[in-house]
Amino acid sequence: MSQPDVLHQAFELGFTYTRSTGPVVGRFLTELKKRNIVGIKASDGRVIVPPMEYDPDTAEELGEFVEVGQQGEIVSFAWVREPRAAHPFDRPFAWAMIKLDGADVPMVHCVAAEAESDVATGARVQAVWADEPRGFITDIRCFELV
Amino acid sequence: MSTLAAVVGIGQTKYTTKREDVSIAGLVREAAARALQDADLGWDDIDAVIVGKAPDMFEGVVMPEIYLTDALGCNGKPMLRVHTAGSVGGSTALVAASHVQSGAFKRVLTVAFEKQSESNAMWALSNPQPFSTHLNAGAGGYFAPIIREYIRRSGAPYDTGIKVAVKDRLHGARNPLAHLQLPNINMQEVEESFMLWDPIRYLESCPSSDGACAMVIASEELADKAARPPAWIRGVAMRSEPTMYAGREEVNPQAGRDCAADVYKQAGITDPRKDLDVAEVYVPFSWYEPMWLENLGFAPEGEGWKLTMEGATSLIDGGDIPWNPSGGVLSSNPIGASGMIRFAEAARQVRGECGEHQVEGAKLALGHAYGGGAQFFAMWVVGAEKG
Repeated sequence: MSQPDVLHQAFELGFTYTRSTGPVVGRFLTELKKRNIVGIKASDGRVIVPPMEYDPDTAEELGEFVEVGQQGEIVSFAWVREPRAAHPFDRPFAWAMIKLDGADVPMVHCVAAEAESDVATGARVQAVWADEPRGFITDIRCFELV
Repeated sequence: MSTLAAVVGIGQTKYTTKREDVSIAGLVREAAARALQDADLGWDDIDAVIVGKAPDMFEGVVMPEIYLTDALGCNGKPMLRVHTAGSVGGSTALVAASHVQSGAFKRVLTVAFEKQSESNAMWALSNPQPFSTHLNAGAGGYFAPIIREYIRRSGAPYDTGIKVAVKDRLHGARNPLAHLQLPNINMQEVEESFMLWDPIRYLESCPSSDGACAMVIASEELADKAARPPAWIRGVAMRSEPTMYAGREEVNPQAGRDCAADVYKQAGITDPRKDLDVAEVYVPFSWYEPMWLENLGFAPEGEGWKLTMEGATSLIDGGDIPWNPSGGVLSSNPIGASGMIRFAEAARQVRGECGEHQVEGAKLALGHAYGGGAQFFAMWVVGAEKG
């Protein structure tokens, strides 16, 4: 007995949406446009970058913005040997957790470096800005070693 | 054996077309914080959080409950998301109630929301699938033929839907939180508004709203000590059935009738029109008022429209059983929250806090929600007394 044909067909589904950033993330992105990086003070005094709307411990609304430095230190990193099309570089680079001066938690961003051996935990890095900041996280084009 | 539970705090946002000033988290947070404030409680007083919203595809945020954890103070607490299409606001409140009625939790925060201005609810409702004809019609297109069948069977007059559209907007004009504020609306204006899905005109349809609604539900012991009058939960019921099957009764769905019978039995209601003082019922298109009047047993089959036409459901006309004094879904429709708003407004009525849209002396109220292809039903009866 032969198997009956089971029909199948690929299909695509797509919709358009809008997103509002709100007063906290919105402020962070607006500051990037002015080439500033801001964090927010949590209930325990830590400065969190990028800022959060609500305290991770007490759930209280947060609102005390703090400008942090444009330099910081690599807390940990992963070297990308073979970048993919969606990556920010077409040559090898590092994804890193960077603790900016004045911040108490690290932020993920990319680090431009010639070789993996140049990157190290504890290395100092500096933000490099896009030519025309637009209010996106990619306004910080990358960090480079100081 | 379930224990008694009550609503001890209610919070809503002002329903509106666009809340561009807040993130989705900020919108949800606003309702939750108001419910806590109303209950005179803080985040630490909450044992668990139950969140409801319409399908993820509406806003394009997958599993929004996870993203909302910190906004709702859920760190270190159980959190659960309920998902039953348009009835979700109602079933979310029922899941929250059952967490307390079971004795497992003392105080539960429940929140439902929708930010329609950032979503794509219209088309996400009827997405095309291979090997099927694309409905391409949204909710109104789905319900219109069912309404036409109701009109054919009942012989209801042409202007029944128009009357509901006017009545609910006049109610909404008394509720400062209602999205549509149309104090001067009249039958002619509704009749002349353009036909969307025959027989549903533009002004016979719900708006698209941004908003959130939240409640705090507490155990009997804690509700007895509540800051404001509690709304005692006297009955809870949910029923569902498939969207389509041969012989399905779509005008007067069996699941809705069964759900009503169950919730009335628990609350000791034998004649809903007489025993209840007010009802907040999910009416997104005008004609669903007469249809649900029958489905919920307020009128015999084929006669729901008579109550509407007599003014029995109008607060302003002094009707004996006001339906949707808040203005209903026809005045505010943040989809995921719309069911919870019905439940919360029923609770507000028996707490006696509705101001201009208060049904005087309301002691027993029905909150109702339906969803999907009128296949998910959620209902509760709340009372000023424990019963």
